[in-house]
Amino acid sequence: MKEKIIGETIIEVDSVSKTFDRRIKALRDVSLKVKQKEVVVIIGPSGSGKSTLLRCLNGLEETERGSIIIDDTPLDEHHKNRLKIRTEVGMVFQNFNLFPHMTVRDNIRTGPRFVRKEAIDEVDIRTEDLLEKVGITDKIDSFPRQLSGGQQQRVAIARALAMNPLIMLFDEPTSALDPEMVGEVLEVMKTLAHEGMTMVVVTHEMGFAREVGDRIIFMDEGKIVEESSVEDFFENPEKERTKLFLSKILDNGGCE
Amino acid sequence: MTFVQGLLAGVDELRHKAHLFKIRNPFIYESIKFLFFSFFIILFVARGLNGLNYRWQWYRMSDYIYEITENGISAGPLLSGLRLTLFVSAVSLILSVVIGFVSALFRLSESVTAVIVSRVYLEAVRNTPLLIQLFLIYFVVSPILGIGRMLSAILALSLFEGAYTSEIIRSGIISIEKGQWEAAHSIGLSRVQTYRRVILPQAFRQVLPMLASQAISLVKDSALVSTIAIYELTMHGQVAISESFLTFEIWFTVAAIYLIINSCLSLIIHIFERRMNKVSI
Ligand SMILES: Nc1ncnc2c1ncn2[C@@H]1O[C@H](COP(=O)(O)OP(=O)(O)OP(=O)(O)O)[C@@H](O)[C@H]1O
Ligand SMILES: [Mg+2]
Repeated sequence: MKEKIIGETIIEVDSVSKTFDRRIKALRDVSLKVKQKEVVVIIGPSGSGKSTLLRCLNGLEETERGSIIIDDTPLDEHHKNRLKIRTEVGMVFQNFNLFPHMTVRDNIRTGPRFVRKEAIDEVDIRTEDLLEKVGITDKIDSFPRQLSGGQQQRVAIARALAMNPLIMLFDEPTSALDPEMVGEVLEVMKTLAHEGMTMVVVTHEMGFAREVGDRIIFMDEGKIVEESSVEDFFENPEKERTKLFLSKILDNGGCE
Repeated sequence: MTFVQGLLAGVDELRHKAHLFKIRNPFIYESIKFLFFSFFIILFVARGLNGLNYRWQWYRMSDYIYEITENGISAGPLLSGLRLTLFVSAVSLILSVVIGFVSALFRLSESVTAVIVSRVYLEAVRNTPLLIQLFLIYFVVSPILGIGRMLSAILALSLFEGAYTSEIIRSGIISIEKGQWEAAHSIGLSRVQTYRRVILPQAFRQVLPMLASQAISLVKDSALVSTIAIYELTMHGQVAISESFLTFEIWFTVAAIYLIINSCLSLIIHIFERRMNKVSI
Protein backbone atom coordinates (compact mmCIF):
# COMPACT_ATOMS: atom_id res chain seq x y z
CA MET A 1 0.00 0.00 0.00
CA LYS A 2 2.64 2.49 1.04
CA GLU A 3 4.74 2.82 -2.06
CA LYS A 4 5.31 6.50 -1.77
CA ILE A 5 8.85 7.74 -1.49
CA ILE A 6 9.50 9.80 1.59
CA GLY A 7 11.48 12.90 0.71
CA GLU A 8 13.67 15.51 2.33
CA THR A 9 12.99 17.07 5.71
CA ILE A 10 10.34 19.74 5.31
CA ILE A 11 9.46 20.53 8.94
CA GLU A 12 12.20 20.96 11.48
CA VAL A 13 11.23 21.76 15.04
CA ASP A 14 14.16 22.28 17.35
CA SER A 15 13.76 22.38 21.15
CA VAL A 16 10.62 24.47 21.12
CA SER A 17 9.03 25.53 24.39
CA LYS A 18 5.80 27.36 24.97
CA THR A 19 4.37 28.65 28.22
CA PHE A 20 0.90 30.12 28.64
CA ASP A 21 0.16 32.73 31.27
CA ARG A 22 3.70 32.43 32.71
CA ARG A 23 3.03 29.05 34.32
CA ILE A 24 1.22 26.60 32.04
CA LYS A 25 4.00 24.75 30.26
CA ALA A 26 2.25 23.60 27.12
CA LEU A 27 5.42 22.54 25.30
CA ARG A 28 8.72 21.61 26.90
CA ASP A 29 11.69 21.33 24.66
CA VAL A 30 9.98 19.62 21.77
CA SER A 31 12.00 18.58 18.75
CA LEU A 32 10.56 16.96 15.68
CA LYS A 33 11.38 16.40 12.04
CA VAL A 34 8.89 15.63 9.34
CA LYS A 35 9.88 14.62 5.84
CA GLN A 36 8.13 15.37 2.59
CA LYS A 37 5.11 13.10 1.94
CA GLU A 38 5.24 11.76 5.45
CA VAL A 39 2.05 11.35 7.48
CA VAL A 40 2.72 11.91 11.16
CA VAL A 41 0.00 11.16 13.67
CA ILE A 42 0.13 12.85 17.06
CA ILE A 43 -1.75 11.35 19.95
CA GLY A 44 -1.80 11.99 23.66
CA PRO A 45 -4.10 12.84 26.55
CA SER A 46 -6.02 16.10 26.80
CA GLY A 47 -3.81 19.04 27.64
CA SER A 48 -0.63 17.34 26.52
CA GLY A 49 0.19 20.09 24.05
CA LYS A 50 -0.84 18.48 20.75
CA SER A 51 -2.84 21.46 19.52
CA THR A 52 -0.22 23.89 20.74
CA LEU A 53 2.51 22.09 18.78
CA LEU A 54 0.38 22.10 15.64
CA ARG A 55 -0.50 25.76 16.06
CA CYS A 56 3.14 26.69 16.48
CA LEU A 57 3.87 25.10 13.11
CA ASN A 58 1.90 27.72 11.18
CA GLY A 59 2.58 30.64 13.48
CA LEU A 60 -0.78 30.68 15.26
CA GLU A 61 1.15 30.55 18.52
CA GLU A 62 4.45 32.27 19.15
CA THR A 63 7.21 30.05 20.46
CA GLU A 64 9.42 31.43 23.17
CA ARG A 65 12.41 29.19 22.77
CA GLY A 66 13.75 26.99 20.01
CA SER A 67 13.30 27.28 16.30
CA ILE A 68 10.93 26.09 13.61
CA ILE A 69 12.02 25.80 10.00
CA ILE A 70 9.51 24.94 7.33
CA ASP A 71 10.54 24.32 3.75
CA ASP A 72 13.89 26.00 4.47
CA THR A 73 12.14 29.11 5.75
CA PRO A 74 12.65 29.94 9.43
CA LEU A 75 9.48 30.88 11.29
CA ASP A 76 11.01 34.01 12.80
CA GLU A 77 9.90 37.57 13.32
CA HIS A 78 10.19 38.44 9.63
CA HIS A 79 6.78 39.15 8.26
CA LYS A 80 7.67 37.80 4.83
CA ASN A 81 8.77 34.45 6.21
CA ARG A 82 5.72 34.14 8.40
CA LEU A 83 3.40 34.90 5.51
CA LYS A 84 5.17 32.37 3.30
CA ILE A 85 4.77 29.71 5.96
CA ARG A 86 1.14 30.56 6.57
CA THR A 87 0.34 30.13 2.91
CA GLU A 88 2.36 26.92 2.57
CA VAL A 89 0.90 25.25 5.62
CA GLY A 90 -2.81 24.51 5.51
CA MET A 91 -4.75 23.88 8.69
CA VAL A 92 -7.98 22.07 9.43
CA PHE A 93 -9.63 22.76 12.76
CA GLN A 94 -11.76 20.68 15.07
CA ASN A 95 -14.67 23.09 14.72
CA PHE A 96 -14.25 23.63 10.96
CA ASN A 97 -14.16 27.43 11.37
CA LEU A 98 -15.75 28.02 8.00
CA PHE A 99 -16.68 31.62 7.27
CA PRO A 100 -20.44 31.56 7.97
CA HIS A 101 -21.28 34.61 5.86
CA MET A 102 -19.73 33.18 2.71
CA THR A 103 -20.94 30.48 0.38
CA VAL A 104 -18.92 27.31 0.03
CA ARG A 105 -17.44 28.74 -3.16
CA ASP A 106 -16.34 31.96 -1.47
CA ASN A 107 -14.94 30.10 1.51
CA ILE A 108 -12.69 28.17 -0.83
CA ARG A 109 -11.66 30.95 -3.18
CA THR A 110 -11.01 33.70 -0.62
CA GLY A 111 -7.41 32.62 -0.01
CA PRO A 112 -6.36 32.18 -3.65
CA ARG A 113 -8.10 35.40 -4.70
CA PHE A 114 -6.92 37.76 -2.03
CA VAL A 115 -3.67 36.23 -0.84
CA ARG A 116 -2.35 34.69 -4.02
CA LYS A 117 -4.12 37.28 -6.18
CA GLU A 118 -5.03 34.67 -8.74
CA ALA A 119 -7.34 35.33 -11.65
CA ILE A 120 -10.92 34.51 -10.77
CA ASP A 121 -11.54 32.11 -13.68
CA GLU A 122 -8.58 30.04 -12.67
CA VAL A 123 -9.68 30.00 -9.04
CA ASP A 124 -13.21 29.00 -9.98
CA ILE A 125 -12.01 26.02 -11.95
CA ARG A 126 -9.85 24.91 -9.05
CA THR A 127 -12.69 25.45 -6.58
CA GLU A 128 -14.88 23.07 -8.56
CA ASP A 129 -12.10 20.51 -8.83
CA LEU A 130 -11.49 20.66 -5.10
CA LEU A 131 -15.15 20.25 -4.28
CA GLU A 132 -15.26 17.24 -6.54
CA LYS A 133 -12.26 15.86 -4.72
CA VAL A 134 -13.93 16.20 -1.32
CA GLY A 135 -17.23 14.98 -2.77
CA ILE A 136 -19.48 18.04 -2.40
CA THR A 137 -20.19 19.30 -5.88
CA ASP A 138 -23.86 20.11 -5.38
CA LYS A 139 -23.35 22.46 -2.43
CA ILE A 140 -21.13 25.03 -4.05
CA ASP A 141 -23.59 27.87 -3.51
CA SER A 142 -24.78 26.78 -0.08
CA PHE A 143 -23.83 28.46 3.14
CA PRO A 144 -21.96 26.50 5.81
CA ARG A 145 -24.98 26.38 8.12
CA GLN A 146 -26.86 24.46 5.44
CA LEU A 147 -24.31 21.64 5.49
CA SER A 148 -23.84 18.71 7.83
CA GLY A 149 -20.77 18.62 10.06
CA GLY A 150 -19.02 16.14 7.82
CA GLN A 151 -19.69 18.26 4.76
CA GLN A 152 -18.48 21.38 6.54
CA GLN A 153 -15.25 19.70 7.49
CA ARG A 154 -14.71 18.54 3.93
CA VAL A 155 -15.25 22.09 2.69
CA ALA A 156 -12.74 23.24 5.30
CA ILE A 157 -10.23 20.77 3.88
CA ALA A 158 -10.94 22.07 0.39
CA ARG A 159 -10.46 25.63 1.61
CA ALA A 160 -7.03 24.77 2.98
CA LEU A 161 -6.09 22.85 -0.17
CA ALA A 162 -7.08 25.78 -2.36
CA MET A 163 -3.87 27.52 -1.31
CA ASN A 164 -1.88 24.58 -2.75
CA PRO A 165 -0.13 23.97 0.57
CA LEU A 166 2.98 21.88 0.95
CA ILE A 167 1.89 20.66 4.34
CA MET A 168 -1.51 20.04 5.89
CA LEU A 169 -2.13 20.18 9.63
CA PHE A 170 -5.21 18.54 11.10
CA ASP A 171 -6.26 19.20 14.69
CA GLU A 172 -8.74 16.51 15.71
CA PRO A 173 -10.67 16.96 12.46
CA THR A 174 -13.29 14.35 13.29
CA SER A 175 -13.83 14.76 17.00
CA ALA A 176 -16.66 17.31 16.66
CA LEU A 177 -18.53 15.09 14.23
CA ASP A 178 -21.38 12.68 14.70
CA PRO A 179 -19.99 9.14 14.41
CA GLU A 180 -21.66 8.45 11.07
CA MET A 181 -19.84 11.39 9.50
CA VAL A 182 -16.35 10.53 10.68
CA GLY A 183 -15.78 8.08 7.84
CA GLU A 184 -16.39 10.52 5.00
CA VAL A 185 -13.84 12.99 6.38
CA LEU A 186 -11.24 10.29 7.04
CA GLU A 187 -11.73 9.06 3.47
CA VAL A 188 -10.78 12.47 2.11
CA MET A 189 -7.75 12.57 4.39
CA LYS A 190 -6.66 9.11 3.31
CA THR A 191 -6.89 10.13 -0.33
CA LEU A 192 -4.71 13.12 0.43
CA ALA A 193 -2.18 10.92 2.19
CA HIS A 194 -2.05 8.52 -0.74
CA GLU A 195 -1.47 11.43 -3.08
CA GLY A 196 1.66 12.22 -1.13
CA MET A 197 0.59 15.23 0.91
CA THR A 198 2.79 15.89 3.91
CA MET A 199 0.44 15.69 6.88
CA VAL A 200 0.61 16.19 10.61
CA VAL A 201 -2.57 14.89 12.16
CA VAL A 202 -3.74 15.07 15.75
CA THR A 203 -6.34 12.35 16.05
CA HIS A 204 -7.45 9.43 18.11
CA GLU A 205 -8.69 7.54 15.08
CA MET A 206 -6.34 4.59 15.34
CA GLY A 207 -7.71 2.95 12.20
CA PHE A 208 -6.63 6.00 10.24
CA ALA A 209 -3.21 5.99 11.90
CA ARG A 210 -2.64 2.33 11.05
CA GLU A 211 -3.79 2.71 7.48
CA VAL A 212 -1.96 5.82 6.30
CA GLY A 213 0.28 6.91 9.17
CA ASP A 214 4.04 6.61 8.71
CA ARG A 215 4.98 7.64 12.18
CA ILE A 216 3.20 8.09 15.49
CA ILE A 217 4.15 10.58 18.14
CA PHE A 218 2.85 10.21 21.63
CA MET A 219 2.82 13.40 23.70
CA ASP A 220 2.30 13.90 27.39
CA GLU A 221 2.70 16.98 29.57
CA GLY A 222 4.17 19.03 26.77
CA LYS A 223 6.80 16.49 25.79
CA ILE A 224 7.20 13.93 23.08
CA VAL A 225 7.24 10.72 25.10
CA GLU A 226 7.48 8.22 22.32
CA GLU A 227 8.08 8.39 18.63
CA SER A 228 8.03 5.34 16.44
CA SER A 229 6.82 3.79 13.23
CA VAL A 230 3.16 2.85 13.20
CA GLU A 231 3.86 -0.89 13.32
CA ASP A 232 6.20 -0.64 16.29
CA PHE A 233 3.89 1.69 18.07
CA PHE A 234 0.94 -0.67 18.13
CA GLU A 235 2.85 -3.96 18.37
CA ASN A 236 5.40 -3.13 21.07
CA PRO A 237 5.18 0.33 22.58
CA GLU A 238 8.22 1.03 24.71
CA LYS A 239 7.06 3.33 27.47
CA GLU A 240 4.63 2.42 30.25
CA ARG A 241 2.83 5.71 29.79
CA THR A 242 2.17 4.91 26.14
CA LYS A 243 0.89 1.42 26.93
CA LEU A 244 -1.51 2.81 29.49
CA PHE A 245 -2.84 5.42 27.09
CA LEU A 246 -3.11 2.93 24.23
CA SER A 247 -5.04 0.46 26.31
CA LYS A 248 -7.43 3.26 27.27
CA ILE A 249 -8.21 4.50 23.80
CA LEU A 250 -8.33 1.03 22.30
CA ASP A 251 -10.79 -0.02 25.00
CA ASN A 252 -12.93 2.99 24.26
CA GLY A 253 -13.33 1.82 20.70
CA GLY A 254 -10.96 4.44 19.43
CA CYS A 255 -9.89 1.84 16.88
CA GLU A 256 -13.04 2.30 14.76
CA MET B 1 -60.60 38.85 47.13
CA THR B 2 -59.32 42.35 46.70
CA PHE B 3 -60.39 44.54 43.87
CA VAL B 4 -57.08 44.10 42.06
CA GLN B 5 -57.22 40.35 42.33
CA GLY B 6 -60.73 40.39 41.00
CA LEU B 7 -59.65 42.54 38.11
CA LEU B 8 -56.77 40.24 37.27
CA ALA B 9 -59.05 37.23 37.40
CA GLY B 10 -61.43 39.01 35.06
CA VAL B 11 -58.65 39.82 32.62
CA ASP B 12 -57.50 36.22 32.71
CA GLU B 13 -60.96 35.01 31.93
CA LEU B 14 -61.27 37.50 29.10
CA ARG B 15 -57.99 36.37 27.67
CA HIS B 16 -59.15 32.81 27.87
CA LYS B 17 -62.34 33.72 26.06
CA ALA B 18 -60.43 35.71 23.46
CA HIS B 19 -58.52 32.54 22.82
CA LEU B 20 -61.80 30.70 22.36
CA PHE B 21 -62.98 33.27 19.86
CA LYS B 22 -59.90 32.38 17.89
CA ILE B 23 -59.17 35.71 16.35
CA ARG B 24 -57.48 34.42 13.27
CA ASN B 25 -55.94 37.58 12.02
CA PRO B 26 -53.46 38.97 14.54
CA PHE B 27 -53.34 42.17 12.56
CA ILE B 28 -57.01 42.89 13.16
CA TYR B 29 -56.68 41.96 16.80
CA GLU B 30 -53.69 44.26 17.26
CA SER B 31 -55.44 47.06 15.40
CA ILE B 32 -58.47 46.81 17.64
CA LYS B 33 -56.22 46.92 20.70
CA PHE B 34 -54.38 49.91 19.28
CA LEU B 35 -57.54 51.86 18.51
CA PHE B 36 -58.91 51.03 21.92
CA PHE B 37 -55.87 52.41 23.73
CA SER B 38 -55.55 55.42 21.44
CA PHE B 39 -59.14 56.28 22.12
CA PHE B 40 -58.57 56.44 25.86
CA ILE B 41 -55.36 58.37 25.53
CA ILE B 42 -56.94 60.94 23.26
CA LEU B 43 -59.91 61.20 25.55
CA PHE B 44 -57.60 61.76 28.48
CA VAL B 45 -55.50 64.39 26.71
CA ALA B 46 -58.55 66.16 25.33
CA ARG B 47 -60.08 66.43 28.77
CA GLY B 48 -56.88 67.88 30.13
CA LEU B 49 -56.68 70.38 27.32
CA ASN B 50 -60.29 71.40 27.83
CA GLY B 51 -59.36 72.37 31.33
CA LEU B 52 -56.64 74.64 29.92
CA ASN B 53 -59.08 76.35 27.62
CA TYR B 54 -56.66 76.08 24.75
CA ARG B 55 -58.00 77.38 21.47
CA TRP B 56 -56.90 75.02 18.73
CA GLN B 57 -56.17 76.69 15.43
CA TRP B 58 -54.93 73.86 13.24
CA TYR B 59 -56.09 75.75 10.14
CA ARG B 60 -53.28 78.27 10.66
CA MET B 61 -50.65 75.55 10.68
CA SER B 62 -50.46 75.23 6.89
CA ASP B 63 -48.58 78.55 6.72
CA TYR B 64 -45.74 77.01 8.61
CA ILE B 65 -45.58 73.86 6.56
CA TYR B 66 -45.74 75.23 3.04
CA GLU B 67 -45.89 78.68 1.50
CA ILE B 68 -47.69 79.74 -1.63
CA THR B 69 -45.78 82.36 -3.60
CA GLU B 70 -45.97 83.58 -7.19
CA ASN B 71 -43.57 80.81 -8.16
CA GLY B 72 -45.85 78.12 -6.80
CA ILE B 73 -45.67 76.13 -3.62
CA SER B 74 -42.47 76.17 -1.60
CA ALA B 75 -41.41 74.76 1.74
CA GLY B 76 -42.53 76.66 4.80
CA PRO B 77 -40.33 77.11 7.88
CA LEU B 78 -40.99 73.65 9.29
CA LEU B 79 -40.26 71.83 6.06
CA SER B 80 -37.10 73.81 5.39
CA GLY B 81 -36.13 73.04 8.98
CA LEU B 82 -36.79 69.40 8.25
CA ARG B 83 -34.48 69.62 5.28
CA LEU B 84 -31.68 70.95 7.43
CA THR B 85 -32.33 68.36 10.13
CA LEU B 86 -32.05 65.63 7.52
CA PHE B 87 -28.87 67.17 6.14
CA VAL B 88 -27.19 67.59 9.53
CA SER B 89 -28.25 64.09 10.59
CA ALA B 90 -27.16 62.40 7.38
CA VAL B 91 -23.71 64.01 7.32
CA SER B 92 -23.20 63.41 11.03
CA LEU B 93 -24.34 59.82 10.68
CA ILE B 94 -21.76 59.09 8.01
CA LEU B 95 -19.03 60.90 9.93
CA SER B 96 -19.96 59.24 13.20
CA VAL B 97 -19.72 55.79 11.64
CA VAL B 98 -16.29 56.65 10.25
CA ILE B 99 -15.14 58.04 13.60
CA GLY B 100 -16.66 55.13 15.49
CA PHE B 101 -15.04 52.65 13.18
CA VAL B 102 -11.59 54.17 13.43
CA SER B 103 -11.88 54.54 17.18
CA ALA B 104 -12.98 50.89 17.54
CA LEU B 105 -10.00 49.72 15.51
CA PHE B 106 -7.71 51.93 17.57
CA ARG B 107 -9.13 50.47 20.72
CA LEU B 108 -8.52 46.92 19.45
CA SER B 109 -5.10 47.62 18.00
CA GLU B 110 -1.81 46.60 19.54
CA SER B 111 -0.48 50.15 19.60
CA VAL B 112 -0.56 51.59 23.11
CA THR B 113 -0.86 55.13 21.76
CA ALA B 114 -3.87 54.25 19.64
CA VAL B 115 -5.55 52.53 22.56
CA ILE B 116 -4.97 55.52 24.82
CA VAL B 117 -6.22 57.99 22.23
CA SER B 118 -9.43 56.10 21.73
CA ARG B 119 -9.95 55.52 25.46
CA VAL B 120 -9.54 59.23 26.23
CA TYR B 121 -11.91 60.14 23.43
CA LEU B 122 -14.53 57.67 24.57
CA GLU B 123 -14.38 58.67 28.22
CA ALA B 124 -14.41 62.38 27.46
CA VAL B 125 -17.39 62.13 25.18
CA ARG B 126 -19.45 59.71 27.16
CA ASN B 127 -19.02 61.47 30.48
CA THR B 128 -19.94 65.00 29.46
CA PRO B 129 -23.29 66.30 28.21
CA LEU B 130 -23.73 66.74 24.47
CA LEU B 131 -24.88 70.31 25.04
CA ILE B 132 -21.58 71.21 26.70
CA GLN B 133 -19.60 69.51 23.94
CA LEU B 134 -21.57 71.49 21.42
CA PHE B 135 -20.85 74.77 23.20
CA LEU B 136 -17.19 73.87 23.63
CA ILE B 137 -16.81 73.18 19.95
CA TYR B 138 -18.82 76.18 18.87
CA PHE B 139 -17.42 78.77 21.27
CA VAL B 140 -13.90 77.47 21.84
CA VAL B 141 -12.78 75.17 19.06
CA SER B 142 -14.49 76.78 16.09
CA PRO B 143 -12.80 80.21 16.44
CA ILE B 144 -9.44 78.44 16.70
CA LEU B 145 -10.03 76.27 13.65
CA GLY B 146 -11.96 78.98 11.89
CA ILE B 147 -14.92 76.74 11.14
CA GLY B 148 -18.48 77.91 10.88
CA ARG B 149 -21.57 77.19 12.91
CA MET B 150 -22.77 74.42 10.63
CA LEU B 151 -19.47 72.54 10.70
CA SER B 152 -19.31 72.94 14.48
CA ALA B 153 -22.74 71.41 14.81
CA ILE B 154 -21.89 68.50 12.55
CA LEU B 155 -18.53 67.98 14.24
CA ALA B 156 -20.06 67.96 17.72
CA LEU B 157 -22.81 65.54 16.75
CA SER B 158 -20.44 63.20 14.90
CA LEU B 159 -17.94 63.10 17.73
CA PHE B 160 -20.69 62.46 20.27
CA GLU B 161 -22.48 59.72 18.38
CA GLY B 162 -19.17 58.33 17.12
CA ALA B 163 -18.21 57.37 20.66
CA TYR B 164 -21.28 55.21 21.06
CA THR B 165 -20.96 53.82 17.56
CA SER B 166 -17.38 52.92 18.39
CA GLU B 167 -18.46 50.82 21.35
CA ILE B 168 -21.15 49.15 19.26
CA ILE B 169 -18.70 48.28 16.51
CA ARG B 170 -16.14 47.08 19.02
CA SER B 171 -18.69 44.81 20.68
CA GLY B 172 -19.52 43.39 17.26
CA ILE B 173 -15.89 42.72 16.45
CA ILE B 174 -15.10 41.02 19.73
CA SER B 175 -18.21 38.88 19.47
CA ILE B 176 -16.71 37.07 16.49
CA GLU B 177 -15.14 33.87 17.70
CA LYS B 178 -11.41 33.30 17.72
CA GLY B 179 -11.69 30.46 15.25
CA GLN B 180 -12.58 32.91 12.50
CA TRP B 181 -9.34 34.81 13.04
CA GLU B 182 -7.40 31.57 13.09
CA ALA B 183 -8.98 30.25 9.91
CA ALA B 184 -8.23 33.55 8.16
CA HIS B 185 -4.65 33.43 9.46
CA SER B 186 -4.20 29.88 8.24
CA ILE B 187 -5.11 30.72 4.66
CA GLY B 188 -2.71 33.64 4.73
CA LEU B 189 -5.06 36.62 4.93
CA SER B 190 -3.41 39.75 6.32
CA ARG B 191 -4.86 41.60 9.28
CA VAL B 192 -6.57 44.14 7.05
CA GLN B 193 -7.92 41.44 4.75
CA THR B 194 -9.17 39.47 7.72
CA TYR B 195 -11.09 42.48 8.98
CA ARG B 196 -12.44 43.31 5.57
CA ARG B 197 -13.40 39.85 4.34
CA VAL B 198 -14.10 37.89 7.49
CA ILE B 199 -14.61 39.85 10.68
CA LEU B 200 -16.40 43.05 9.72
CA PRO B 201 -19.08 41.52 7.48
CA GLN B 202 -20.07 39.26 10.36
CA ALA B 203 -19.71 41.92 13.04
CA PHE B 204 -21.78 44.36 11.00
CA ARG B 205 -24.70 41.97 10.75
CA GLN B 206 -24.42 41.32 14.43
CA VAL B 207 -24.70 44.98 15.45
CA LEU B 208 -27.00 46.34 12.78
CA PRO B 209 -29.97 46.68 15.16
CA MET B 210 -27.81 48.61 17.64
CA LEU B 211 -26.44 50.85 14.91
CA ALA B 212 -30.00 51.51 13.83
CA SER B 213 -31.08 52.72 17.23
CA GLN B 214 -27.92 54.81 17.35
CA ALA B 215 -28.95 56.46 14.07
CA ILE B 216 -32.35 57.22 15.54
CA SER B 217 -30.73 58.75 18.61
CA LEU B 218 -28.65 60.90 16.33
CA VAL B 219 -31.70 62.31 14.56
CA LYS B 220 -33.25 63.14 17.92
CA ASP B 221 -30.05 64.59 19.35
CA SER B 222 -29.71 66.82 16.30
CA ALA B 223 -32.47 68.96 17.84
CA LEU B 224 -29.83 70.24 20.26
CA VAL B 225 -27.92 72.08 17.55
CA SER B 226 -30.78 74.59 17.55
CA THR B 227 -29.04 76.01 20.63
CA ILE B 228 -26.26 77.41 18.45
CA ALA B 229 -28.84 78.95 16.10
CA ILE B 230 -28.81 76.33 13.37
CA TYR B 231 -32.18 76.70 11.73
CA GLU B 232 -33.21 73.08 11.73
CA LEU B 233 -36.59 71.66 12.58
CA THR B 234 -36.67 72.41 16.29
CA MET B 235 -35.31 75.92 15.87
CA HIS B 236 -37.87 76.73 13.23
CA GLY B 237 -40.55 75.33 15.52
CA GLN B 238 -39.48 77.67 18.31
CA VAL B 239 -39.37 80.69 16.03
CA ALA B 240 -42.75 79.83 14.57
CA ILE B 241 -44.26 79.61 18.02
CA SER B 242 -42.86 82.93 19.12
CA GLU B 243 -44.55 84.68 16.25
CA SER B 244 -47.81 82.73 16.07
CA PHE B 245 -48.45 81.41 19.60
CA LEU B 246 -49.58 78.12 18.08
CA THR B 247 -47.67 76.35 20.86
CA PHE B 248 -49.49 73.02 20.91
CA GLU B 249 -50.06 72.71 17.20
CA ILE B 250 -46.46 73.38 16.33
CA TRP B 251 -44.92 71.16 18.99
CA PHE B 252 -47.27 68.34 18.02
CA THR B 253 -46.32 68.82 14.39
CA VAL B 254 -42.61 68.95 15.11
CA ALA B 255 -42.88 65.81 17.23
CA ALA B 256 -44.86 64.11 14.48
CA ILE B 257 -42.20 64.98 11.91
CA TYR B 258 -39.44 63.46 14.07
CA LEU B 259 -41.64 60.43 14.58
CA ILE B 260 -42.10 60.06 10.84
CA ILE B 261 -38.37 60.43 10.06
CA ASN B 262 -37.45 57.83 12.61
CA SER B 263 -40.22 55.44 11.65
CA CYS B 264 -39.01 55.61 8.06
CA LEU B 265 -35.48 55.02 9.26
CA SER B 266 -36.58 51.98 11.27
CA LEU B 267 -38.48 50.63 8.32
CA ILE B 268 -35.57 51.02 5.94
CA ILE B 269 -33.23 49.31 8.35
CA HIS B 270 -35.74 46.56 8.96
CA ILE B 271 -36.06 45.87 5.24
CA PHE B 272 -32.30 45.99 4.86
CA GLU B 273 -31.85 43.53 7.69
CA ARG B 274 -34.46 41.16 6.28
CA ARG B 275 -32.82 41.21 2.91
CA MET B 276 -29.41 40.55 4.39
CA ASN B 277 -30.74 37.64 6.41
CA LYS B 278 -32.19 36.15 3.27
CA VAL B 279 -28.90 36.36 1.45
CA SER B 280 -26.96 34.59 4.15
CA ILE B 281 -26.56 33.60 7.78
N1 LIG C 1 -4.55 30.13 24.78
C1 LIG C 1 -4.21 29.47 25.89
N2 LIG C 1 -4.12 30.14 27.05
C2 LIG C 1 -3.77 29.50 28.18
N3 LIG C 1 -3.51 28.19 28.25
C3 LIG C 1 -3.59 27.47 27.13
C4 LIG C 1 -3.96 28.07 25.89
N4 LIG C 1 -3.97 27.11 24.94
C5 LIG C 1 -3.63 25.97 25.56
N5 LIG C 1 -3.40 26.17 26.87
C6 LIG C 1 -2.97 25.16 27.84
O1 LIG C 1 -1.85 24.51 27.31
C7 LIG C 1 -1.89 23.12 27.58
C8 LIG C 1 -1.82 22.35 26.29
O2 LIG C 1 -3.01 22.60 25.56
P1 LIG C 1 -3.32 21.95 24.16
O3 LIG C 1 -4.56 22.56 23.68
O4 LIG C 1 -2.13 22.05 23.29
O5 LIG C 1 -3.58 20.45 24.52
P2 LIG C 1 -4.12 19.27 23.63
O6 LIG C 1 -3.16 18.18 23.74
O7 LIG C 1 -4.46 19.77 22.30
O8 LIG C 1 -5.43 18.85 24.40
P3 LIG C 1 -6.85 18.38 23.83
O9 LIG C 1 -6.72 16.92 23.54
O10 LIG C 1 -7.78 18.62 24.96
O11 LIG C 1 -7.15 19.20 22.63
C9 LIG C 1 -3.17 22.88 28.36
O12 LIG C 1 -2.85 22.86 29.73
C10 LIG C 1 -3.99 24.07 28.04
O13 LIG C 1 -4.85 24.38 29.12
MG1 LIG D 1 -6.28 20.08 21.19
